[in-house]
Amino acid sequence: MTPSLREVVAKYRWTFSGMVAWALQRVTGVLLLFYLFLHVHTISKLSQGPAAFNEAIATFSSPFFKCLEIGLLGVVVLHASNGIRITLLDLGLGGGRQRQLFWTLTVGLGLAVFLAGAIPMFLFAVLGAG
Amino acid sequence: MSWNALEWYFQRVTGGLLLVLLSAHFWVEHFMTAPLRRGDLTFETIASRISNPTWQAIDIGFLVVALVHGLSGLRNIILDWGRLGPRTLRAVNVGLAIIGVIWAWVGIRAFSRL
Repeated sequence: MTPSLREVVAKYRWTFSGMVAWALQRVTGVLLLFYLFLHVHTISKLSQGPAAFNEAIATFSSPFFKCLEIGLLGVVVLHASNGIRITLLDLGLGGGRQRQLFWTLTVGLGLAVFLAGAIPMFLFAVLGAG
Repeated sequence: MSWNALEWYFQRVTGGLLLVLLSAHFWVEHFMTAPLRRGDLTFETIASRISNPTWQAIDIGFLVVALVHGLSGLRNIILDWGRLGPRTLRAVNVGLAIIGVIWAWVGIRAFSRL
């Protein structure tokens, strides 16, 4: 019998969440390293004086880039919350609950912290409130 | 302790440091003052903070920790690819170290004329 979608999701959730977390950590890590490269490139323009720097940074003041910045926060938080999970497991503090930790810590805590940063960023920087 | 075990340990230590440093960085650059909350980051706002040597030290240290963590993580990904010969491994290590030094230099030089 073909398993229902619900069964597939349940099986996937409890069997492969560790592999998903592993892949996630690598993909987000590479994205962050790439961002750091661009970030240092932009910041290095500080040494060319106010005019050159303000011109370079003005590119990123559009709502589109503000939204990308919120996305960046998401990638950072995901990498960090999953990193906390990995470190806890490495220290033997996971209590044998590796898969539960993926959902509570990586996804749950990650989402909470992301929203705590993303909502004010959206209100202030994108919509221009305050 | 083998070199790889040390690298594993260092990845956790730098990860913990980045958790603190990056949280502070996020607050300082996005929320600390009203113009920053609106996303108005200018040369003047950065220069007034960065002219303080303590901030320079924090930011340079932050960059170095981030580069060590990031390039070390990239090295882990390369090692996961498969078994590398000693010469390839050496080339990877030397290559990443050179990239790290140049990257850090470009970042540190940003403060050279403030």
